[in-house]
Amino acid sequence: MKKKTDHFSWWMYALYALILAAVMLLCICVGSVNIPLKNTLTVMWNTLWGLELPQGVSKNIILKVRLPRVMNVALVGACLSLCGAAMQGLLRNPLADGTTLGVSSGASLGAVIALAFGVALPGMENAGTVGMAIVFAFLSLLLILSLSYVLDRSMSTHSIILIGVIFSMFTSSAMNLIITFAQEQVKSIVFWTMGSLSGTHYRHSLLLAAGLLVCGGIIFGHARELNAFAVGEDNARHIGVNVIKVKLTILIAVSVLIGICVSVSGTIGFVGLVMPHMTRMVVGPNHKRLLVSSVFSGAVFLMLADLAARTLLSPVELSIGVVTSLVGAVAFIIIFYRTRKAG
Amino acid sequence: MSKKIVSLFLVLLMCIGMCNAAIAQDAAVSVTDMYGREIVLDEPAKRIIAMTPADCEILCAIGCEDLLVARGEYCDYPESILALPSLTTGGNLNVEEILALEPQVILMGDMNQSAEQVQQLEDNGVKVVVSQSTDIEGVYTAIRMISALVGKTDAGEQVIADMQNTFTAISELCEKSDKTIYFEVMPLEWGLWTAGAQTFMHELAHVCGMENAFADLIDWQPISQEQVIERDPDYIVLVTGMGETAADEVLSRDGWEDMKAVQNKLVFNADSYAMTRPGPRLAQSAIDLYEFLYNTEFVEAAE
Repeated sequence: MKKKTDHFSWWMYALYALILAAVMLLCICVGSVNIPLKNTLTVMWNTLWGLELPQGVSKNIILKVRLPRVMNVALVGACLSLCGAAMQGLLRNPLADGTTLGVSSGASLGAVIALAFGVALPGMENAGTVGMAIVFAFLSLLLILSLSYVLDRSMSTHSIILIGVIFSMFTSSAMNLIITFAQEQVKSIVFWTMGSLSGTHYRHSLLLAAGLLVCGGIIFGHARELNAFAVGEDNARHIGVNVIKVKLTILIAVSVLIGICVSVSGTIGFVGLVMPHMTRMVVGPNHKRLLVSSVFSGAVFLMLADLAARTLLSPVELSIGVVTSLVGAVAFIIIFYRTRKAG
Repeated sequence: MSKKIVSLFLVLLMCIGMCNAAIAQDAAVSVTDMYGREIVLDEPAKRIIAMTPADCEILCAIGCEDLLVARGEYCDYPESILALPSLTTGGNLNVEEILALEPQVILMGDMNQSAEQVQQLEDNGVKVVVSQSTDIEGVYTAIRMISALVGKTDAGEQVIADMQNTFTAISELCEKSDKTIYFEVMPLEWGLWTAGAQTFMHELAHVCGMENAFADLIDWQPISQEQVIERDPDYIVLVTGMGETAADEVLSRDGWEDMKAVQNKLVFNADSYAMTRPGPRLAQSAIDLYEFLYNTEFVEAAE
């Protein structure tokens, strides 16, 4: 790999796209129900070109159950992984991601409040949950940042992480309190917090894609500043980065993305924390490469994890979180070991 | 000679003594709970706490509602027991609160209360009795166990006989068919769960002469949506407790529109509390299920 240019050359992007497409196809073709490959391809090809579908083909399973799920899984994986990469760079902390910063738990708290008090917005089903998750991700971020600002004017990374952890504990207590009092909706809340992507629709994909496009675009636009942050906050300040403004912009973009992800899938751990690390081991720490690569690796990883969850014990379906933690931990150790050995 | 008479007299006395002892022992109660633990009481229990809704319903069905001193938080049937103090269950078990109520026996399910908590209760003289049934035979065992605990075995047998009679009456009305029922225990929104073999829901399907669409699974299991669409059951029975709109939600699911049950609108939003609890109301659940499946009223045959 050439180290001279910051960006990948076009063929690297082509390779990523190819891998992504291949994994996506695999995930659509393989599932809990065995559908012949030829049928799957026919359904997809014919739908793509608006052709008549042959009779007796399980088009509903492919088009209305599997495809939206695979797309949502890929998008959630991409978003979480990107958020993790951005935060780890920004805060120069290998343990930073949506969970440690308290944004995920803030979003969960928002969604739980929406469920417990029946907050609903007109127009879209579950819009209340999505809206509240995003709003609370925002609010928790504002709270964390202003608290860190009050305590430490330079908003050093340590104070942000520390307050994030404290905030996570606070929100989990608040959630428990709500669950205790909201007896009637208790079932709904408890199961919601476990997270599931099994009943997601195309409209969720639209939401996720829009979020990834806008917030991802903003984060990509700050790749240069992230590189500066990775060296050190003082370094960033010295080379003319408006530290607080950039921090705020990136953290807001991240919190919106995490809010959307949490409202669609509940909390899925491990992806945001581990995928950026694994990606960094392969492509290096330059954010111009790392951010893009993290999007792809997150998507591919979560799709494969979901594939395993759907098929390993078929017809029984595993929880995706179980698979991400299991597979992720093992893969992480292997890659870590190899890079150490090679280095 | 007189010696013989004396010894005979002594033997007689001993016999009477033994009889007396036997009578005295009659008051003592010994049952084996559903974890296989031996529980011995000096007399039938007078102060009982039932933590699971099913055990609560069993106690009330054998006419022992007045023995209940408190109930688990989810116990809500019959309505009159709502007046009793409600206790947190599972991992949130409040040992102090329970001890303050001075129960002799506490009936618990196989939940995530810790062994330490159970030990604490037992150390303080409260007998912990585990009731854990997943099939109808298990319900009968639980009824026998609970009625023995309170010394009302006859009432227990009566409840069991009533249940058996209902199941038999329904079975006799139904011709065996290979139509399938899919039980939805958890809604799509949280990830589907269904009932497999060795569950009372599976048995209810059989009582009504039908097959469980997921008979190849054992116990309650999470399943993928694709499997439900692929197996294309004839009937969908919801025990998700999602309110009145649950059936409409199923009918409007993406990708489910070509399924037989959806096309024919054969989706039954069952009384989820009755059908998910291993208790006497399973008989009523069977009647409800029968009436839905055959679209006819259940009339008990005259003796």
